[in-house]
Amino acid sequence: MTGNDIVDIATAAAESNWRRKGFLEKIFTPLEQQYIQEAKQPDKTVWTLWSMKESAYKVYTRQYGGRFFAPQKLNCTLLTNVTGHVSINETIYSTTTTITDGYIYTIAVPLTAAITEVVSHCFHCNQPALAKLQQLVYKIIISYFSTSSGKEEKQLSITKNSDGIPFLFYKKEKLSTPVSITHHGQYAAFTIY
Amino acid sequence: MNKEELITSLKEIVKPYIKDENNFEHLTEETDFLKDLKINSANLVDVILDIENAFNIVIDNESMEKMLTVKAAMEIITTKLKEK
Repeated sequence: MTGNDIVDIATAAAESNWRRKGFLEKIFTPLEQQYIQEAKQPDKTVWTLWSMKESAYKVYTRQYGGRFFAPQKLNCTLLTNVTGHVSINETIYSTTTTITDGYIYTIAVPLTAAITEVVSHCFHCNQPALAKLQQLVYKIIISYFSTSSGKEEKQLSITKNSDGIPFLFYKKEKLSTPVSITHHGQYAAFTIY
Repeated sequence: MNKEELITSLKEIVKPYIKDENNFEHLTEETDFLKDLKINSANLVDVILDIENAFNIVIDNESMEKMLTVKAAMEIITTKLKEK
């Protein structure tokens, strides 16, 4: 089981002013705020920590259900600039982040899982209309999964449950293969594991 | 402040962050900030900070946790205003 989250760096800079009063304090624990203060590139650290929290939240809600907005409950510890742990209610996830000039992308898995087994694809897609973007991303995932599983593409679909968690379906039957999807700005990514 | 006025001010607050115009126009108490209005979750923090400033209240982490719908936001604002 995985969760993933991508941040388009240019979009984040345009959409969010993390320097506004109170912003960091609402999201980040004292330790995380310290990471940001000490960072050479604080923007990248802010969005790395954010994507760690979001990706871990996605695995957590898939495992335990429910929805909530409690960024401080997801505690990040950085092991290196790009690897870390996120703990929430005594569950720990390990995270791996990819940082490029364009995006920051994190994958989270339960601590006991092998992150190397996760299938993860990240791509550029310039589609500003949100609904169309989602359809495009779904199409790419279905095409990939059809090839890797040998299942007929036309019979595959993706539907989100009421918590917003996506599931793969084959001939209208829910598959046990977990899929996690993320998109932001000009980037999208998915994991299958 | 009555319910109508509260919804009107909330609508004004979330406006800069929404990504679904149609659902925004038809906003009701049941509207979900993330699922319906497609507000980016990082911008939900901005919504919360803007609510704090507009109503001069402090939204603690416990209240913030439930802040996913217009209805929840209205309840939290009403409670915090009473506590003042």
